Amino acid sequence: MNEELDSQLSAMFDDELPQAECELLALRLSRDRALQARWGRYAAIGAAVRGGDIRLGGMVAHEVSSALASEPLPADARERLQARGLTLARWWRPMAGAAVAASVAALSILWLQQNSLPASAALVARSTAPSTAPVEAPASYVVPRAVEARAMRMPATELANYVVAHSQFSTPVSRDSLLSALMASESAAVGAPEQAAGAAGDPDHHADDSP
Amino acid sequence: MSADVSDLSLVRRVQSGDKGAFDALVLKYQHKVTKLVMRYVRNPAEAEDIAQEAFIKAYRALAQFRGDSAFYTWLYRIAINTAKNAVVSRDRSPVDYDLDTQNSDESYELQGRMKDAETPEGLVLTDEIRTTVNAAMDALPEDLRTAIVLRELEGLSYEEIAASMDCPVGTVRSRIFRAREAIDRRLREVFEGGLGRAEELG
Repeated sequence: MNEELDSQLSAMFDDELPQAECELLALRLSRDRALQARWGRYAAIGAAVRGGDIRLGGMVAHEVSSALASEPLPADARERLQARGLTLARWWRPMAGAAVAASVAALSILWLQQNSLPASAALVARSTAPSTAPVEAPASYVVPRAVEARAMRMPATELANYVVAHSQFSTPVSRDSLLSALMASESAAVGAPEQAAGAAGDPDHHADDSP
Repeated sequence: MSADVSDLSLVRRVQSGDKGAFDALVLKYQHKVTKLVMRYVRNPAEAEDIAQEAFIKAYRALAQFRGDSAFYTWLYRIAINTAKNAVVSRDRSPVDYDLDTQNSDESYELQGRMKDAETPEGLVLTDEIRTTVNAAMDALPEDLRTAIVLRELEGLSYEEIAASMDCPVGTVRSRIFRAREAIDRRLREVFEGGLGRAEELG
């Protein structure tokens, strides 16, 4: 055993150890049986030095320890432990409420997802179904997707070239209105960048425009 | 150094639910309390029973101990009251220990314990222990012997011992510790040898 520890124990036995060290050693002493045995021998040595019979009362500690084994904790300790439990309960109560609320919310979301899943799945299946399938005609007008519209639309430049090239076979009024309509539709469909490019003039287009 | 600080450290541990700390308190005071009770009852076995009862009462009442007085003062008060109550109760009892009938199991057991405490081998062992302690004390260097005597017989504090021996407090602490260790070594030899011989005799 550590000599310094034994020296501390001897000083503690005589009430001559600083309080901070005393508290640490008391913790160790309450758990370390070997240290307790040494502590008990210091008491016996004191009794012997004073001329007493060291066997007198030597078994009291053992008897008391056995008797107290089934004894409940002192009332103060019980109260402290209960208070600690109460504090924990107070701390846990709002946490438990929040946890229950979160659980209910999570369950609700899961329930909604599960219940709405067949409908959305049917929609997906319907939208991805082959065109040959006997599908009823939609009740309302369906706007085609932008990509498809762009793919099907003839480029405005080509159309304009076509109109200009064949303008000799059309009347002036219809030619103007057709050109105006083309210009309007092109600016609405293509957007500003193309408009800007058209306004600045493309050398290739000009070359194409020339007869 | 505040008095009773080590006892209070242990008491606080017991009050917070640490029973092991109470074992340490009982180990420290079992000899003193039993010797105290022996002023009221002459029978060693009865004195040990009363001491045991006093410690159990102290444990149950420890929640009320606030440290206004020293722990041992409080404990001694409990022991004295327990001893007085035991004497009163025995005096009121129609059964006398000394003139007890042989058909009472409890008194028979008590008589057996009385005999055990006063067996020849027990008395021999007691004498041997006393002789050993005296021899161990005599064998100690004078500074160690003086320190342990001033502490255990006169009850002086380390500071008072340091003043009387004209040395630092740390030196006093070391001397007392070394004196205890030397006596402890001799006592352990006697206890081991003595108990072995007692078993042979039994």
